[in-house]
Amino acid sequence: MSGTTEPIPSPAQGVGPVYRSDREKPTATVSKSISYENVHVLPQTPQLIALLTMIRDQNTSRADFIFYSNRIIRLLVEEGLNHLPVVEHPVTTPVGRSYLGVKFEGKICGVSIMRAGEAMEQGLRDCCRSVRIGKILIQRDEETCKPKLFYEKLPVDISNRWVLLLDPMFATGGSATLAVETLKAKGVPEERILFLNLIASPSGVTDFAERFPKLRVVTAFIDQGLDEKKYIIPGLGDFGDRYYTL
Amino acid sequence: MESRSPVYSAATKQEKRYSPPWADLSIIGIAGSSGSGKTSVAMEVVKSLNLPWVVILVMDSFYKSLTPEQHVKAHANEFDFDSPDSIDFDALVQTLRDLKQGKKADIPVYSFVHHQRQEHTTPLYSPHVLILEGILALHDPRIMDLLDVKIFVEADMDVCLGRRVLRDVKERGRDIDGIIKQWFNYVKPSYKKFVEPQRSVSDIIIPRGIENKTAIGMVVQHIQRNLEEKSEKHSATLQELRRIASEEQLSPNVVLMPQTPQFIGMNTILQNPDTEQVDFVFYFDRLAALLIEKALDGTSYTTKAIETPQHTKYNGLGQEGVVSAVVVLRGGSCLETALKRTIPDCITGRVLIQTNERNEEPHLHYLKLPPGIAEHSTVMLLDSQMSSGGAALMAVRVLIDHGVAEEKIAFVTCAAGKSGLKRLSTVYPQVNVIVGRMEEEREPRWMEKRYLGC
Repeated sequence: MSGTTEPIPSPAQGVGPVYRSDREKPTATVSKSISYENVHVLPQTPQLIALLTMIRDQNTSRADFIFYSNRIIRLLVEEGLNHLPVVEHPVTTPVGRSYLGVKFEGKICGVSIMRAGEAMEQGLRDCCRSVRIGKILIQRDEETCKPKLFYEKLPVDISNRWVLLLDPMFATGGSATLAVETLKAKGVPEERILFLNLIASPSGVTDFAERFPKLRVVTAFIDQGLDEKKYIIPGLGDFGDRYYTL
Repeated sequence: MESRSPVYSAATKQEKRYSPPWADLSIIGIAGSSGSGKTSVAMEVVKSLNLPWVVILVMDSFYKSLTPEQHVKAHANEFDFDSPDSIDFDALVQTLRDLKQGKKADIPVYSFVHHQRQEHTTPLYSPHVLILEGILALHDPRIMDLLDVKIFVEADMDVCLGRRVLRDVKERGRDIDGIIKQWFNYVKPSYKKFVEPQRSVSDIIIPRGIENKTAIGMVVQHIQRNLEEKSEKHSATLQELRRIASEEQLSPNVVLMPQTPQFIGMNTILQNPDTEQVDFVFYFDRLAALLIEKALDGTSYTTKAIETPQHTKYNGLGQEGVVSAVVVLRGGSCLETALKRTIPDCITGRVLIQTNERNEEPHLHYLKLPPGIAEHSTVMLLDSQMSSGGAALMAVRVLIDHGVAEEKIAFVTCAAGKSGLKRLSTVYPQVNVIVGRMEEEREPRWMEKRYLGC
């Protein structure tokens, strides 16, 4: 291992439920672990790995890519929603029992970073039916090579909402950082932002966790690293292209 | 005189097996001359009972296939179809033994045109009472051992001949000369030699066949009593299992969904009677999708190396084998939307099990399983709720009877009482159970009413 050019390989381990013996667990590459309290990686179940394998595979058709990425996105949204605070809400059930339930009292909204982030809107709507969704367009400025905000359309009362920020691929985190700064400028407190992504790079996620210590990142997988073009490897190619056009 | 051999006390281990009513099959044999009215009697009995678990098995299905020479003879009315040699008693005995043990049996289909057993068969599964009908139903001693009631239907031989002529001309398009030839060459001699002797080994003799309403009424009453006994025994087995299971621990294969804030939140909305039906359906589908995702975690995977569009390698996993589902109707149908969200083209079988609310006895009404189910790597059994656990036990038993290994079954349900879960996991500890909400006390099934709106 040469250090600078070759990233540290991702861990390979037997994947499966605890009650299975190691012999019964097929080996696969799983997410790297990162020890930041505000970074949440989905449990590396065999099924999640199988879903990721489907969308990473270059031979997967677009229809399958859309279907399987939606399934992962729903799991991400479900996990993300678990970080919202709830209050007790006891109910009497239809069979006359009392159930000590909970309910979410605040308001939420989604914000997708165009265009790939918009691919996550369906999964969000599958879990939160009439959720408001704002959009942000960030492109690389040809002159400075830095990300630049070109467009934003957000709910007017966004400062009173919890924000689920959507972008499937979290490489250097340049766009995401600008998006978070835009949200903060609109009055959204950092601790009310949840950033949902499918695959993250170790450097991107580390940088982000330190820059925004109160913001929560929910990801399905922390990959091996970035290549010289700042693409996540092994990654899955260009998410937007595979979802919308390829 | 020899000393008595030691007497061992019976094993003290309590019976943790579930025995459905079809594993205690009663077989009624109806024999009698051709044209005596056996078929009409059997039909009349089944018609008066009008229950799906009383079934007639006609011995004609077990005719042996004829060789080409025999086939020619048969066309010339020179083949003896009335001799015991023409019936494949070995296959019949095996079928009856399988059914008696509650197993599924494949009944041969016989073509009277080609005098051959067809390629396809008719599956027969889960009758509680089977009526075996044929001229020689009481002939084979091995069958006699399996019969609970032996009936001989008797009619005047002239009447029998008359009926046979009418039937063969009308229904089988045969000519009178041939029928008469066959009657005097084979049917009548065979009657004297094989059919009539069965009279003396029968329990009941029904003279005048179908016209004998009194005798038919008695048979019907007998079967009704028998069915009631089975039903009581079945309920008692279930009660006994509940008692035994109450002292058992839940098997580690029973997995309760992590009670995260969102999960409890969804359960709160579902259980709130003020929730609109449209919202109930939405949150039920969302919750059920998580249950199915959880069930899929327990399925089989194998290492799969792939290449990404950037030509980098990734060692991932791929699903191993076929994952199918069996929906326990009607409750289980509520989970189908979630199932399709997870596996859009999931192979799905259906089984309708209704539970008698009075004595909690489940009844199997309908069954349609996908072909090759025994080879699937996982079969998810879907039900919206588990109340007493009786329907779940029966559904699992149905899958096992169809060759699905216990450990390949994943029972998925939104809510269950602990006693029902224990009952299932005590009898079938290898079955994986995924449950959304576990209650100390069981509750009646109400979620399907809310989901379906009636």
